[in-house]
Amino acid sequence: MKYTKKDLGSYNLHLINTNRLKTITIKVVFHTPIKKEEIMKRIILSDILLQSTKKYNSKRLLTIEAEELYAASIGISSQRMGNYIHTSFILEVLQDKYTEAGNLEKSIEFLKEIIFNPDITEKAFQKDKLDLSKYNSVVAIQSLKEDASNYSAIRLLEAYDKDSPISYRMTGYIEDLEKIDEKNLTETYQKMIENDYVDIYVAGDFEEKEMTALIKQYFKLKKIKKQKENYFLPYRKIRHRKLIAKETIDNSQSKLLIACPYKKLSDYERDYALVLANIIFGGGTDSKLFKNVREKHSLCYSIYSTVHKLDNLMIVAAGIDRNNFRKTVDLITKNLNAMKKGYFTEKDIETAKEFYNSSLLEIDENANRLISEAMAEDILKMDSVEGRMERMNSVKKADIVKVCKKIGIDTVFLLEGVKNEDN
Amino acid sequence: MKTINLKGLEMDAYEETLENGLKIYMLPYENKKNYFISFATRFGSDVLEFIDENNEKQVPPLGIAHFLEHKMFEQSSGEDPFTFFSKSGTDSNASTSFDNTQYICYGTKDFATNLRYLLNFVMSPYYTDQNVEKEKGIIAEEIKMYEDMKEFALEMRLRECVYKNHPRRYDIAGTVEEIEKITKEDLYHCYNSFYIPNNMFVLIVGNFKKEEALKIIREELADKKEKTLPTIKSIAEPSKVNEKEAIITSNVEIPKIAYALKFPIKNTSLSGVELDLYLHMLTTIIFGASSLFRERVRQEKLLSSLYTEWESTEEYKVFYLMASTIEPEQLIKEIKKELENIECNEQTMNRIKKVWISSEVRMIDNIDATVNNLYDDIIRYQRIIPNKLELIKNMKLKKLKELIKEIDFKNSSIVKMVKDKD
Repeated sequence: MKYTKKDLGSYNLHLINTNRLKTITIKVVFHTPIKKEEIMKRIILSDILLQSTKKYNSKRLLTIEAEELYAASIGISSQRMGNYIHTSFILEVLQDKYTEAGNLEKSIEFLKEIIFNPDITEKAFQKDKLDLSKYNSVVAIQSLKEDASNYSAIRLLEAYDKDSPISYRMTGYIEDLEKIDEKNLTETYQKMIENDYVDIYVAGDFEEKEMTALIKQYFKLKKIKKQKENYFLPYRKIRHRKLIAKETIDNSQSKLLIACPYKKLSDYERDYALVLANIIFGGGTDSKLFKNVREKHSLCYSIYSTVHKLDNLMIVAAGIDRNNFRKTVDLITKNLNAMKKGYFTEKDIETAKEFYNSSLLEIDENANRLISEAMAEDILKMDSVEGRMERMNSVKKADIVKVCKKIGIDTVFLLEGVKNEDN
Repeated sequence: MKTINLKGLEMDAYEETLENGLKIYMLPYENKKNYFISFATRFGSDVLEFIDENNEKQVPPLGIAHFLEHKMFEQSSGEDPFTFFSKSGTDSNASTSFDNTQYICYGTKDFATNLRYLLNFVMSPYYTDQNVEKEKGIIAEEIKMYEDMKEFALEMRLRECVYKNHPRRYDIAGTVEEIEKITKEDLYHCYNSFYIPNNMFVLIVGNFKKEEALKIIREELADKKEKTLPTIKSIAEPSKVNEKEAIITSNVEIPKIAYALKFPIKNTSLSGVELDLYLHMLTTIIFGASSLFRERVRQEKLLSSLYTEWESTEEYKVFYLMASTIEPEQLIKEIKKELENIECNEQTMNRIKKVWISSEVRMIDNIDATVNNLYDDIIRYQRIIPNKLELIKNMKLKKLKELIKEIDFKNSSIVKMVKDKD
């Protein structure tokens, strides 16, 4: 794998070269500081741009064209990354040697068509298409509760800090939906194209010069923009007494989530010691939480912890019976305290390091992984993949304990399953 | 060792059968860093009743195959297989299906040690009253987790509508009440009957040397004795669907519908892979991403999400369609209308072939996807299919039209899931 970043003035081109993939993946990312009231517009935009373009004026024609390009896949998503919102256009297509000469270029042209030639007439999107996109959003918002894991994660963050971008709902908000019309959505689109920061990532087996020329030919942006705002959310003060929030749902299982913020960490602590701490504590089937809460006490089937670096937060999630709420929270707390006291072995650390390295060794097999690691290097200012393995190997137990001591339990949320119970 | 050239994909797979009947399938890669090993038995939730080696009738509680899978991770040494694999940064897992259970590990290091360990731990059952009891709480939470998933609840109700007697009407994991009854004796009866070499296979894909793998498998498993397979009670299943319609309520905002079509295999002359390809072609033309149906229902706001799948049993092919919609009645009408008047032409069929062939080429790049694909072939056709690309290319419109005539589209079930009235 070889990663190079080129500053092309109006955007950065990131070339990730590997000979292990038969496909070429191109990800065009538009990013701007996130604003709560703008989320809905970006979501609608992500949907409507994939409904039609000037040239392909229905979703069916658009899909057929993708199929004709030897099943090129194309997608648009809007996600929050720390303080920013990313609207990404992703194309994945087989290399020409597995299809026919010119197929890649035609696919890039197709991607360009979707981004730069939307179905806008007289400064307005088509009303029927907008209605459909709005309808899709209404459905997504209304069915949020159906996915208990996702819904409980949202509710935890809203309890944790309702004013921070951390709790913004990336489905958007119904009250913002009503304000969107064919005309002002066009303005949102124009603003995104003209003002957003742009990064283009290409992963696969290609000639660097050829690819650069192709991208330059099809992606012409005017403005020179320099990124200013920090990607990381500011650190929050940890509550002295943990906040407990509950909500009932007509489900069999209850979802327990715990927000564990940490005090300021150095880059080294965050990128290395914290990662190991999380793997040991709740990273997988060999973790303390899995062993103690699931295997020893049979309290759950699923339990794990994840770190959200840009948000300075670790989250623990488990599916439990509501009657075991106290017991489970106590056990999780006990296990976190044990980490702080250094009750884990050198062997645990070795295993966690192996896990981390093994996962980095596999990134070549997956274009999305390659791109997200390049993003981590570029945005989060992490070390190169090779550098990361080396530094990770030198992390000491004391570093991990030091990090664990900075982690606190701030907010506990229980989505209480009360199905078949008398209230 | 038999070489299987995967035509059009520039890859060779290998197949070997040990004297005790154990099958080994391997697909080594030159340019990958990771490997994936699966050790599987043809034992799943489809087995409700069987005669064991002592000629005794066994009727274990529902969910026994899945429970057994969980309990394989218990070793007499006290060592947890998850912990063992973790030492080399290797992931491990297991899953139970209707007709098989597999134990897997995947990683980049210590191939030989991990392969040896995987084979050994699956060959070493250790069930005690205490460790069986302990698992009940964990599995009960797993069952409840699935019960809360709307699509899952909908699918289970649909299965009851399609099948009158067949075990596919039951959840693979069983029910909280049934698993409470499971004892260590039940587990041993099942283990001794179905975890035997002539009912099992090993599948390895990725970065490894086939000679080395084969040598290890021989060393570890050649001494396991072949046994007579237990007689599984066959369950008569009528051709007709069990129920045509059902309604269930749930805390959903957007209603959901599920549709199933039951097709007895005896009604067609097509069989094996060919039959599956044509059936899949048929439903892709009708309901696929670029179908006219999709465009129409999308524009009329009748559809929010759509999922389709074909299921195989020995005697039946069953098509499942699940969708979210605010207008369930209207969408059902549209589905029926579409099936009564199927339009297919050369052009559409050729485009779908192009998509499928491209997907096969792309998939071989991805070890996880390739493993799943090969695994499904082995389970369903008892072998790796070497010429899938060719079979796709050779599909004919005429054959598809003949197949359409053989299907009774009225032999279908529909389940609606609507909001509780509080």
